[in-house]
Parts: sequence; C-alpha cells; structure tokens
Amino acid sequence: MNVRSQISMVFHLDKCIGCHTCSIACKNIWTDRKGTEYMWWNNVETKPGTGFPTDWEDQERYHGGWEVHDGQLQLKSTGKAKTLFNIYHNPSMPTMDDYYEPWTYKYEELFNAPEGTDQPTARPVSMVTGELINIEAGPNWDDDLGGSPIYAASDPNLKGLHHDTQQQLFAIERLVFFYFPRICNHCLNPSCVASCPSGALYKRGEDGIVLVDQKRCRGWRACVAACPYKKMFYNWNTGKSEKCILCFPRLETGQAPACFHSCVGRIRYLGVLLYDASRIEEVASLPSDKLIEGQRSLILDPNDPEVISAARRNGVHDSVIESAQRSPVYRFVKDWKLALPPHLEYRTLPMLFYVPPMSPVMSNRSNGSLDHVSGDLFHDIEEARVPMKFLANLFGAGEQGPLRYALRKQQAVRWYRRFKTVGDVDEQTAVRMLQQADCSSEEAEAIYALTSLCTFDDRFVIPPMHREEAIQMMEDPLEHKQGVGFGFLSGPKRGM
Amino acid sequence: MRFLRLVQIGILTACLSAYLSRPADAQGAGAVFRQNCSACHTIGGGHIIGPDLQGVTKRKDRAWLVRFLQNPKTMIDSGDPYAAQLVQDAPGRMVMPTAAGMNPDLANALLDYIEGGTAAAKPEPAGATLSDRPFTAADVAVGQQFFLGERPFENGGPACISCHTLGTIGGLGGGRLGPDLTNVFDRLGGRKGLGAWLSGPPTPTMQSVFGKRALQPDEILSLLAMIDDASNRSHPADNSSVVKFFAFGFSGMLVGLALLQIAWRGRIRSVRRSIVRAHVRGGL
Repeated sequence: MNVRSQISMVFHLDKCIGCHTCSIACKNIWTDRKGTEYMWWNNVETKPGTGFPTDWEDQERYHGGWEVHDGQLQLKSTGKAKTLFNIYHNPSMPTMDDYYEPWTYKYEELFNAPEGTDQPTARPVSMVTGELINIEAGPNWDDDLGGSPIYAASDPNLKGLHHDTQQQLFAIERLVFFYFPRICNHCLNPSCVASCPSGALYKRGEDGIVLVDQKRCRGWRACVAACPYKKMFYNWNTGKSEKCILCFPRLETGQAPACFHSCVGRIRYLGVLLYDASRIEEVASLPSDKLIEGQRSLILDPNDPEVISAARRNGVHDSVIESAQRSPVYRFVKDWKLALPPHLEYRTLPMLFYVPPMSPVMSNRSNGSLDHVSGDLFHDIEEARVPMKFLANLFGAGEQGPLRYALRKQQAVRWYRRFKTVGDVDEQTAVRMLQQADCSSEEAEAIYALTSLCTFDDRFVIPPMHREEAIQMMEDPLEHKQGVGFGFLSGPKRGM
Repeated sequence: MRFLRLVQIGILTACLSAYLSRPADAQGAGAVFRQNCSACHTIGGGHIIGPDLQGVTKRKDRAWLVRFLQNPKTMIDSGDPYAAQLVQDAPGRMVMPTAAGMNPDLANALLDYIEGGTAAAKPEPAGATLSDRPFTAADVAVGQQFFLGERPFENGGPACISCHTLGTIGGLGGGRLGPDLTNVFDRLGGRKGLGAWLSGPPTPTMQSVFGKRALQPDEILSLLAMIDDASNRSHPADNSSVVKFFAFGFSGMLVGLALLQIAWRGRIRSVRRSIVRAHVRGGL
C-alpha cells in the first residue's frame, strides 16, 4: 500500500444556479494576462450543450484520455511513434474558433463618434488580431440552452438515447437543463502529464495538484490534445501551456481556491483524500462497468489504523491525516456514495466529484391540483425530465446503477426532511423511502446538514500544506546560514 | 593553461613563417613553376594561354617582373601599359592569378629558374603528354560520365558538375559555385590551352581541390572531347535548366503538401463551425 494524499473536490450540482461567479473570480485572478484572454480555467456549462471548447466530450474527435489496448493502458492522442510524427503539428487540437476568439469593444467610439442620426455603437474587436470581428462564438455561447437546436442537440451525452427521448428533452413543458461547472480535475492518472514530451507537467507529491513547470514547457501542446476535459490551455503570447493551479498559493495560506470561495450557491466542497497510489494503473484499466467501484476502492478510510500507519510511513503529516478524517469529500464520495466523477470512461481517474442534479418534479394534474405522490415513491427519478441514461453518460461511465443510487438517496433525504419540517409526508412513507434508498435517519440528517446548513469551515477542510517540509526536498534551508545578508541569487558570470 | 596555448601558437607561427620564407633554390622553383605556371606558360614551347616565357627577363626589367608576379591584378588596374597589353593578348582577357605564397624571394627564384631554363633541362610544357588524336564518340561519352560523376576520377577528384554548369548537361544544370563552362573551350584557348589548364589548374580554388588529386591525361582527353562536343551543340543563351530547376522544385513542393494533407487528413479543422454548418444545411 502506497498511501498518498490528494486535495479533492465535490461540486453539488443540485445547488448550482449557473451564475458564473466562479469563472469571473478565476479570470480576474489568473487569466487576465495577454495570451490568456480565451482561457477559462473555471467555466460553467449548460447541459445538455456542447460546452467549452465546443463538443469537448466527443473523444472520437479530440482523442483525449486513455484507452485499454491489449490490456495495456495507452494514451489515445499520442504514443512514442506518434509523438515523433506529430511533434510539429498535433492533428487533434481544438482550433481557436472551438474555444472562441476573445474580443473587446471599441468603447471610445461611443464618445468620439461624429454627430449623426444614428446611435453610436461600440464595435467588437478581436483581442488576438486587433481587427474588427463578427462575434460568432463565446465561452458560454449555449448558456441556458441558447441555440439549443444546434448546440444542445449535439451534446455527446445524448449518444445511446432513444430518438423519442431526445426529442422529449426539448419538448415544451418538458424542457430541462442544469449547470455543469468545471475546473481541472487534478486526476490520479493524468493524461496531460503522461503526454508531455518535455516532462514539464507534474503532479505535486504532497497534495496531488497537477502543475505545468513554465521553465520546462516547450509548447509542444501534446497536453492540450491529451486532456479529455480540455482543461489544458496554450498561451499564445508566452508560447507555454497553462492550466488551473487549484489556487495553490491560496491553499498554502489556508484559503479556499477563488472559485470555491466566491461560489454563491455554496456548491463547492474541498478536502483531503488518502488513496493507494500502487493500484492506480490496475484500476484505470478496469472494464468500464467496474470503474466507479474501482476508483472508490482506491480511496482509503482515513480512520483505519493500517491506513494511518502506512500514510505515516510515506511521510504524510499527522495534521493531513487528521484533515482527511474531517474531509467533506470523503463523506460525499465514500460514506454516502452521492458524488460521482465526470466521464470516468476517459480513465484519468478525476478527483473532482459531482453530486448529480435532481430534475424538476414531473407532476400529474388531477382535479385542479398537482398530484405527485404515486405508488412508486421514486417515480420522479425514473420519469425525470433529464433521462437517467444522459446522466449516466456524463457521471456514470455509462452505468445507470450508481446514478440511480445517488438520486434515490437524495430524494429520500428530501422527503425525510419534508416529513420533519413541512409535515405533508407521513413518517411511514419517509422511513420507507430511506430504507429503500439505503440510508439511515442519522445519515439523512448528516447529508441534510452538509448540503443545506454547511458553513465555510464545513465545506473547506484545507490541510496545512507543510511547504516548509516540501521545500526541503529541493533546497537546503541552512545553505545561507552565517552568510552575509545580500548577494546574488545566481552567481555572476565572469571570464570567457 | 592559456600561457601554454600561446606558446603553442607561437611555435606554430614561427615554423610556418620559416617554411614560407625559406630560400627558394632552383630545384624548389622548378616544382613551383610546374605547379603554378605551366598550365598557361612554356619556356620556349610557344604561346598557349599566356605568353612563352623564354627570354622574359630580357623583354622587361626584373623589378617590374617581381612586382607583377606578386599581384598582377593591381598592376593591370594601375594602368601600366605593358600589363594592359598582356591582358589584351590573353584569350578571353584573362587576368593572371597570383600564385599561393608568392613573395619577392620566390619571384626572384622563379625568374632565375626561367633564365636558366634554356640552359638546364627544359620543363615539359603541361599538356604536352596529351594525345593529339581526333576525339571519338566514345571519348565524349566517357567525358560526360566523368563530368556527371557517374565514373570517378582515378585520383579521387570531385565531379565537375558539383561546381560547374555546362550547357544543358545533367538536365537541371550543375553547380553555380564555379564559372559556367559553356564557352570555356574558346575562352581558354581551345584544345591545347584547356588541356594545359586542366593538367595543372592554377586558380586558387581549382588548385586546392585538384592540387593533390591531379587529373590523368586520358581523363583530361575525355573531358576535352565532351566539352568541345557540348559547346558545339549548346546555345549560348540556353537557360532551360533554370526553368526546369524551378519547375522541379515547385512540383516537389506540391507533392510534399499533398503528402502532408494525406498524413493529417483526419486533423481537426473546426468543430463548432462544422456543427453549425451541418445544422444549417440540414434545414432550419
């Protein structure tokens, strides 16, 4: 057992209101530099929709992630021979139009326009070329089902759905969408790291954050093609690739990442998980119906004495283990099995989990009042507006079982709380639902508390990062002891 | 370390200058003459490219000759009437090149050698060993093989086409480093002159290439046959090889682009636009 710690995340989609505050917070801190205008390390997509960059989930096109070939895990986009062949031109890259051409407006024309009969307008100019452009796409162009006959209808997750079901998804009075905020998943088996010909990408040992070494990056962009979530971005100004850094400078000072901190719906949870690094390859190669169970089995119980001693042997600090024991992520993912990883079939083992969203209630009108209590208590889930198969394509690697489990448990908790507070559900029904959803009343209360009453400290259990220990691996803190107070960071060059 | 290197350089320089400024005896001057002068000059053998040098010291004073030997070009450019006359008489108004390592001592030694040349054994004029038989078609064919490098020179010299162009031989023309050889037969005084020239090429570039890899008499004969044949056939203003070269390069580029297109035919051109277009075509 090779126990390591990983900062992991849960996004509670049932609480997301799609306000994009997270994206703006991230943009203002990290990607307002020249060359990064088009990047959205954090973005919020509407589902069904094609997202950012367009159709990123279609790996037939983008060749992201891993595939199992003769029992061996291989990158879809590249290999040793392919790297050599494609090193000057990677054929699987999104074009600028698939992201969008970033633009601003000529605001000064509002003030400088000569007097005339028309209102002055601020015309859009490209932030890349500086030329006037016609805006054809933006990072959330299909927000709230905008252009749905084109974009939402092309959602790759609709694959395998019956034609009628697809049609119903967009029918009047059944129309439905939910939001899907995305950041880098800081995967356990990151394909971006594996694809880099320069070895510039790495997964930080102490907390599992995936980073790009800007000094070693040579701009080959193999990572852009290899990341199936398209969360690697190429900075056209510096000629290097960049990605979400999970605000590690904030984490190191005990603050939640900016997108987490600013979240209006308080949908984001962050905490440490302990996992068994020795089994990553084995789990990532499992057949797709075993992947979800496999990834859960990688995550270890932080209260197990055996795990604790193995973690200590590996140099995981006691304070990190203690933090893992309080991790909200562990409760959502392992204890309650409510949170699921996105597109686990890409086999990168993402460490960002989503609590799947509940659809609006499907009700029957009878005698002028809405009646939504049928014989089958979980009728609403099976007949939900968002088809189960669609959610399964997105969060279940195609398997509906784990999804049904999570949604049933969520609904049972809702009904249980209705019995407690509103009183329109009788106790018998509520308890029966809990039983059928594999949930005790204590667990229901805990889920309710962490979902609805969670404070800042409940949501973000940030471990001490112990940079003072990490830095000692690279540098000797006593190197300059007894030296004079000033000098050169790197020695001056003299002579020939 | 650096001191040692300076010492090394000093020793080398001393050796080199001692070698270059060594008193040139008559025997050494003979070798220098054969190597540098005999391609164009004879001593009593008659005019080939340059004038016969027998009695040259009587025709002109020694000081002038020493100056001329050291840098003929400067003398000619300075407007010296005798030097100007020499250029007038030379075929193709060729200027005599400066021999490598020429200095007043060496010039004097050479003049001594030429003066004594009448008394001592006359140096064989270069090219004298070449046969006078008429060229045959076989000579032309073999010469072309030498020119194109299909048949290697016995002493390992490089093929002519690597530096020279001759008419339309080789299809795309030859190298552009050396002069165009289309009219060389007339320029260097026909069969005899060109034969002498090839026996011991005096220009610095040719000498550095062929100095130690001299052409054999039968090789020279084949080349002469082939150059004669080519210059009789070629139109002087024939630049079809340039057009061909461009056409070849351009079609090569097209083939390369086609190959790239085939290799990367599956590349992503645009995802969003193709989705939108497919939908618009499908009928809104």
